[in-house]
Amino acid sequence: MARIAAGVASSHVPLLGVAVDQDKTGDEYFAPIFSGYEWTRQWEKEQQPDVVVLVYNDHASAFDASIIPTFAIGCGENFKPADEGWGPRPVPDVEGHADLAWHIAQCLILDDFDMTIINEMDVDHGLTVPLSMMFGTPQKWPVRVVPLAVNVVTYPVPSGNRCWALGEAIARAVESFPEDLKVQVWGTGGMSHQLQGPRAGLLNREWDNRFMDMLIGDSDDARWIEHIEYLRETGSEGIEMVMWLIMRGALGPATRCLHRHYHIPCSNTAIGHMVLEPAT
Amino acid sequence: MTDVHSYLAEFDDIPGTRVFTAARARKGYHLNQFAMSLMKAKNRERWKADETAYLDQWPLTDEQREAVLTRDYNRMLDLGGNIYFLSKIFSTDGISFAEAVSTMTDMSFPEYREMMNKGGRSPEGNRSIKGGY
Repeated sequence: MARIAAGVASSHVPLLGVAVDQDKTGDEYFAPIFSGYEWTRQWEKEQQPDVVVLVYNDHASAFDASIIPTFAIGCGENFKPADEGWGPRPVPDVEGHADLAWHIAQCLILDDFDMTIINEMDVDHGLTVPLSMMFGTPQKWPVRVVPLAVNVVTYPVPSGNRCWALGEAIARAVESFPEDLKVQVWGTGGMSHQLQGPRAGLLNREWDNRFMDMLIGDSDDARWIEHIEYLRETGSEGIEMVMWLIMRGALGPATRCLHRHYHIPCSNTAIGHMVLEPAT
Repeated sequence: MTDVHSYLAEFDDIPGTRVFTAARARKGYHLNQFAMSLMKAKNRERWKADETAYLDQWPLTDEQREAVLTRDYNRMLDLGGNIYFLSKIFSTDGISFAEAVSTMTDMSFPEYREMMNKGGRSPEGNRSIKGGY
């Protein structure tokens, strides 16, 4: 049977993709960010997961304003890097796992999550930057990916509680897939950042670290944080952190932290990264 | 169940922030779709050649047109623009995300960049208008 072996959380700032694509990861500005991912790159090589369920948000790339799915799952065979206005990133195409994706989609719908099913879409930096952070610059990504896109742009976005519950449902779905697969769930985006208005540039080191603390062990406090708290404390775009809760929910009642990294700033954003595994 | 009216009302209490609510999404629909059209190279060329003529194809209000032509991003936010869509405009202008963001603050880009390198804007005093904390 398939099983969820671990969870990974990471910011997905587009500038990190630029740093990788232009070979600047060792620069003075970027080195302190990328050095916090070295542990994970080595760990991923040892882990060799088969599939990543990659929770991210689209930034007006695949979806325009005409359709706004709250939760969408990519069931296609493969996904191309999106042209976000300056040409697609020079990274490999993303290979899907259509059998697992369709299985998860069916299970989630039967479990009362009314998913939007996507057969064709391009994937933007929200999805490809975390792959670059964890795997570097291979000719071919070493995992297959089930993209799970969340609306965190147009309010109301899904609640933290709903995201956590979706993670729990994803875990049940994965565990009922007959093939023997090692699956990771990644929650991406965040941490504190505000990209708009006179308050732009807000960062909150203390709050971000408290949030990371809450994802370790058997606490479910993070599940109940309201949207207004993310907005006040972490900036208008900090709400992306609800996507980390899908990852956390998928890991079960308790977690162990294997690795943790935090750095301020990357462009407008606080970088956070964690590797968690289910604790039994 | 969360009451939608009190849920939305709280958003107005955040200093210097326009939360992208359904009302803003509706108001800014064509503004955002116009910005989205700049994802295509062909459209970018036509836009660069004649911005006013390009905008004529979109049912924008006069205020929205003016805000776009003057690159007044705070005004575009007020008129329903969302930053991820509006980013297509400043990307086409060849301006970085951080620089475009700085134009919405009371700082120059070098000042803004320095603030970010020193740890960003503090949440202290920036959480609530009414509460002043």
